[in-house]
Amino acid sequence: MELFDTTMVGLERAMSGAQLRQQVLANNLANANTPNFKRSDVDFHAALANAFDSGSASPASLNATKFSIQTDTSSVMQADGNNVDVDTEMANLSENSLDYQSLTSVLASRVKILQTAMGTGGAS
Amino acid sequence: MGMFDALSISSTGMSAERLRMDVIAENLANAETTRTPEGGPYRRQEVVLEQASPTFGEVLGGVRVAGIVSDTSPPRRVYDPGHPDADKQGYVTLPNVNPVNEMVDLITAQRGYEANVTAMSAAKQMFTKTLDVLH
Repeated sequence: MELFDTTMVGLERAMSGAQLRQQVLANNLANANTPNFKRSDVDFHAALANAFDSGSASPASLNATKFSIQTDTSSVMQADGNNVDVDTEMANLSENSLDYQSLTSVLASRVKILQTAMGTGGAS
Repeated sequence: MGMFDALSISSTGMSAERLRMDVIAENLANAETTRTPEGGPYRRQEVVLEQASPTFGEVLGGVRVAGIVSDTSPPRRVYDPGHPDADKQGYVTLPNVNPVNEMVDLITAQRGYEANVTAMSAAKQMFTKTLDVLH
């Protein structure tokens, strides 16, 4: 097992993606009352899934995965041209938070395995 | 990408919503004010929000207050001949503030504030989880 194999790098990229998505969702909520504002989102799952499905996923190729912020103009508009639905954003926010928590749990157990191997705690 | 950008984005939203609440409170307090330094009755004030452009190194900037503008809708005219500011026909010109509209705006601002607080708590929770990885 390499120290920074595809799983480790994949986890790191997914955590960065979730952090970016947190920013985008926070921005949507901050602009919930801004006229003509259009919500955005980041589909970091799809970007990473593409990188993993390519058949030649390597730590380097995963590291090069870019997440793009997409503006959503499809959802229902309010009279002021704003399309932020606070309830949907809240649901997205919880989803993203849980996503991040599961990623950190997996990363924590991997770190624990390494710690055990190094004999520096972990088993305590 | 700074780690704590999500916190600053949520804080811009909280400041903006709090300013809206301040201005709504001002409108409600002056709902019956007939004298102002500019002359005439008080005019309803409204906060204009716009999307903030991100500063260097940021991905998104949150929201910013573009300005506070006066509502130009016509004032209310109420018949009250005993009022010291009544005109010759006995009508008083009162501010164009409708307390019901203000209350609705107040609830919107309050809910908006709460939404930003929730987003900020979620971000804080995420950062705490990251620190827990090495425990």
